[in-house]
Amino acid sequence: MKKILALLLAVVLVMGLTACGTEPDTDEFIVGAIYINSRNDTAGYTFAHHNGITKAMEELGLDVNTQLVIVDEVPEDKEQVLAAVDTLVGEGADIIFGISFGYIDAMEEAAKTYPDVIFSHATGYKSNTTNFNNYFGRAYQARYLAGIAAGLKSLEIGNNNVGYVAAYGTEYAETASGINGFAMGVLAVNPNATIYVKNLGAWADEVNEAAFANELIDSYNCGVISQHCDSAQPQIAAQNKGVFGCGYNSDMTPDAPKAHLTAAIWNWNVYYRTAMEAAMNCGEASKFVETMGSGAYYGGLKEGFVDVSPLSENCAPKTAEIIAAVKAMMVNGEWDVFSGVKLQISPDGTITKVDAALVDNNGNEIVPAGGASVEDSVITGTMNYFVAGVKEG
Amino acid sequence: MAQQYAIELKGITKTFGSVVANNNVELNVRPGEILALLGENGSGKTTLMNMLSGIYKPDSGHIFVDGKEVSIDSPEDSKRLGIGMVHQHFKLVDVFSAADNIWMGRDKSGLVLGRDRYDEIENMAKKFGFEIDPRKKVYNMAVSEKQTLEIIKVLYYGAKIIILDEPTAVLTVQEIDKLFNVLRRMKAEGHSIIIITHKLNEVMDISDRVAILRKGEYITTVNTAETNEQELTEWMVGRKIDLNIDRPHMEKTRPLLELRDVSIRSDEGAVAIDGVNFYIRGGEILGVAGIAGCGQKELCEAIAGLRPIEKGQMIHKGENIVGLSPRAILEKGISMSFIPEDRLGMGLAPSLSITDNMLLKKYAEAKGPFVDRKQGKADAEQVIRELEVVTPSAETPVRRLSGGNVQKVLLGREIKAGPNVIITAYPVRGLDINSSYAIYNILNQQKQAGVGVLFVGEDLDVMIALCDKIMVLCHGKVMGVVHAHKTTKEELGLMMTGALDLVHKYEDKPAGLARDTRFGEQNEEG
Amino acid sequence: MSFHIVKRDNCPLWKKCALYVGAVVIALLLGSLLLLALGVNPVVYYSRMFTMGTVGNKIAYKVWINYLKSFVPLALTSVALSLAFKMRFWNIGGEGQFILGAIASAFVAFTVGPFLPEPLTLIVMCLAAMAVAGLYGLFVAALKVKFGTNETLMTLMLNYVALYVLIFLAEAKADWNFFLDPGSLRPVFASFADIVSFPSIPLGGQFSLNLCVIFTFLIGALVYVYLKYTKHGYEIAVVGDSAGTARYAGMKVNKIVLRTVFLSAALIGLAAAFKVGTAGILSTSITDDVGWTGIIVAWLSQLNTGVIFVVSALITMLHYGSTVAAATFSQVDSSFANMLQGVILFLVLAADFYTRFRVVIVKKGDK
Repeated sequence: MKKILALLLAVVLVMGLTACGTEPDTDEFIVGAIYINSRNDTAGYTFAHHNGITKAMEELGLDVNTQLVIVDEVPEDKEQVLAAVDTLVGEGADIIFGISFGYIDAMEEAAKTYPDVIFSHATGYKSNTTNFNNYFGRAYQARYLAGIAAGLKSLEIGNNNVGYVAAYGTEYAETASGINGFAMGVLAVNPNATIYVKNLGAWADEVNEAAFANELIDSYNCGVISQHCDSAQPQIAAQNKGVFGCGYNSDMTPDAPKAHLTAAIWNWNVYYRTAMEAAMNCGEASKFVETMGSGAYYGGLKEGFVDVSPLSENCAPKTAEIIAAVKAMMVNGEWDVFSGVKLQISPDGTITKVDAALVDNNGNEIVPAGGASVEDSVITGTMNYFVAGVKEG
Repeated sequence: MAQQYAIELKGITKTFGSVVANNNVELNVRPGEILALLGENGSGKTTLMNMLSGIYKPDSGHIFVDGKEVSIDSPEDSKRLGIGMVHQHFKLVDVFSAADNIWMGRDKSGLVLGRDRYDEIENMAKKFGFEIDPRKKVYNMAVSEKQTLEIIKVLYYGAKIIILDEPTAVLTVQEIDKLFNVLRRMKAEGHSIIIITHKLNEVMDISDRVAILRKGEYITTVNTAETNEQELTEWMVGRKIDLNIDRPHMEKTRPLLELRDVSIRSDEGAVAIDGVNFYIRGGEILGVAGIAGCGQKELCEAIAGLRPIEKGQMIHKGENIVGLSPRAILEKGISMSFIPEDRLGMGLAPSLSITDNMLLKKYAEAKGPFVDRKQGKADAEQVIRELEVVTPSAETPVRRLSGGNVQKVLLGREIKAGPNVIITAYPVRGLDINSSYAIYNILNQQKQAGVGVLFVGEDLDVMIALCDKIMVLCHGKVMGVVHAHKTTKEELGLMMTGALDLVHKYEDKPAGLARDTRFGEQNEEG
Repeated sequence: MSFHIVKRDNCPLWKKCALYVGAVVIALLLGSLLLLALGVNPVVYYSRMFTMGTVGNKIAYKVWINYLKSFVPLALTSVALSLAFKMRFWNIGGEGQFILGAIASAFVAFTVGPFLPEPLTLIVMCLAAMAVAGLYGLFVAALKVKFGTNETLMTLMLNYVALYVLIFLAEAKADWNFFLDPGSLRPVFASFADIVSFPSIPLGGQFSLNLCVIFTFLIGALVYVYLKYTKHGYEIAVVGDSAGTARYAGMKVNKIVLRTVFLSAALIGLAAAFKVGTAGILSTSITDDVGWTGIIVAWLSQLNTGVIFVVSALITMLHYGSTVAAATFSQVDSSFANMLQGVILFLVLAADFYTRFRVVIVKKGDK
């Protein structure tokens, strides 16, 4: 028995050595991750990230069982995040992903303490020039596309009221930009539409997610329900009431096959793969940010970081065609959502660019007609208004 | 089978931890017979009966009812077999009426309480010859009424075998007579009755046969007519014993503690002690007799400063000490040892060692922030030695000691403090005969040393033998103070129920006031 | 066949130890089955858990520093709770008292920290935390003494009041709210680590011992002496054992209750000050559940101060080691680690039951 073990060990060692010789040291590359919820979740935010990381690792030929170290259920508590970092560094992590916004200060400090380790922080805004970056995506682009699907549906059913169950409203740029992107997609198709927003005041609250969707349908007479929350409850509510909806985070057609149109989704693996490749190729941790090109990764439709899920059969005619065309305009950089140029889309598929000011729902001008897109920092940080056409319910 | 027994127990054994409560006990009761179950406290009488009523299960042994072996797993089983038990501590709901207390245990009583339940219960009570108001709430009842209600309850559920656990402990002499008449009538109707007691005169009075337990062991069963008290005691205690209590004669001294027109309220705010006058001289034991709960506890607590005195004066060596803190009263040399029903509730901290308990009243005297355990240990060892306390060491928690030893520790500490007045309530509660006599001796020694003793007691025979004078309380009022060697149990019983008031017997002399009190002198001068 | 439960008189020490060790072993065996079901080698998992991943770890000193950071608040809180428990005052409010203590010390750090010398700030932080937490406890004690309210319910409810105060501070983005980082767009707590923090003593290598650890052991020793040898400790024991007896002995029971509960809560506040003073920042999960875990520790230790330190050390090891062990096994999440902890605690409590009682099986006689 001992002999066999020794033999096995030798084989493993030899294989390890040969692998190291040629390729970058993929076999010794350790990925660390700090999660807010459990790694064994089957839905929701942590699930999406864990899926993204494992998918990216598989794509890169990394072994999830031996090369991924995780500390999960870490609250947004600096001490506990730092302790988690210590654990992961102790396990030899080369890159550490922190997925929750509240880890921001701890990640920043950890990057100073461990200059040989790369720190990458989701949804944050801090970075340095060496081993610490942040990453987020242009969800508003995907939401704009979903908005088009919703707008076309609203025209088809002849109901100009569109509902939106949101985790938060203008308190966070993340939610505001998502609502605005979606609203502008709806309005490009149906200029008479009104988008009613119900604010949950929590990132996840399954009970109220359903209740608010029902209220939007019953009291606001909404015909399409969009959402910025984890569960599929709003879509299920839409199906129960015989209306339609756009999901978020994952394709929710299986949850509500009769109601769901399409969902704005994240392909986190796109970033994770990019970041892991950069980390393995950059040689030393201090070159990571340089290799990535910037301390803030902000991927969109172009990178495939965000997208819409496959359109369901519930969508209005021509939806696929129109979405594909608009998506192409954003992918090739010809046009973007928050600018002084608006798209006018007719249900027959004609897309016209019109110079028009970006105005918030209090009538303040944000971008003059014909003006350039707002800065990315506005979308990620300071967007604290709703565009015209959005009403808080 | 020569004889059909109503109940027969064979080889019953029951242990609690390492304590053997019953060991191989045999017992049988014939139909239409009264069996007295005699034994000292802790001899396992109640445990044995609780196995009949389904509260405990025997570790081994057999139970036969009407000749058939049965297994009693729960009180319901017991009820079904026609066994009913009247516990020492009544199992009644205070806020319910008499009828409802009976009613609530009925299996077939529906959701609705019908008015006819009052009539039904009243008729049933009449059938057995009881007078009871079915609408009366239990909290308005006297102790004897509650007991009657318990008996009716048992009969209502069709019990053929009735067990009474120390039924006379809470009754006056007259009430005991009444109860015994009821029992005799029930016997005549064919009921089997087991009466648990440790009072020999009652055994001789009521029972047909006597079964004796000693320390969990079954000793024997004899026909009452063929035995006597001395013989029963020997069986009960295990050896010959002198049943006489000494009453050493002492020269009277001046009153040490005098209460004048004192009123005290109970926890509920009712008047518990109402305008009481009495005094204790040095070198005498003043007994306090009364039905349970007629103000004894409140009186003791008030003297110790634990309960405010509503009105009146408490004079110690000529000085009014009303309103002083418990500690100040302690420092005056008045010590109180109150043995409540659970024995450990007041006076001792059960989880603490004997040493720590010795320090209870004087820990604060040590200099500095620390407790002087050396002193405590010395005291503990002295008490253990002098009072022959049985304990593994002075560091043993008090709750591990047996009842007698606990009470010795308590009294020992009080005496150690060198008091001039000792207030002691129920000091022999739950003790075996030997321990009781040891306690009486301690009290007599104190009396001879010139200490004034207030002895709140339960057993009138003991009080008549031990005390110099006996004060009788009834509902918080003094019914009179009598000389112990001149009174009788019957007289005391009448006073306890309020039927006899001796306070105003001698009109020339104000009752309860000592003529030679120093306080009085001051008054006269002023 | 049936069984009944019989009280044990006295359980010898070796038997107790054997029962406890047995409980842990059974728990670990149960855990092994689950680990095997998940495809994890239990031997590897447990060896990592019990070494807390220090073996072969180039930053093992960090493990010990983090370990002590978790240990200090738990040990101190448990000791503090034992004071009240000894008096049979069921202070379930450790969480709330800890939170208020944390807020108070952060308040001091932000307001006077910039003006006072660091050691002085630290002292004021500790005193403020003790005062505020102590008063929070005293409030409940006063209600109990005055109106006979139930302290278990009161302290329990006040935990949530304190927690929501903290959450309010964590989320209320406003000019007055100096607890939050003004530079952040989203509300996050500001750090004051550069203003004030408890110093550490370097002890060779990179390991350094935080002063709080030394203070905690010191306070533990003081509480031990306080409970065991002083008059106050004696009074606590008597009041806890029998309030009636205490009154009878001339003790001012109400005063003793108020004093002891204040002290208990104040020490919990001190634990919070240590925690906040080391972390340099608030957090909505600042307590790390020590107010709850401390109750278990105090009970498992049977309110014995020395044992509390041992049990706290073991529970912290279990807690920390589980996280470390789970890190390397992608199948094992911290829920599993928590569950394993739960199983161990449950079985140890069961063993505790067996030290006091034994179960006797009775064969029923023939019917």
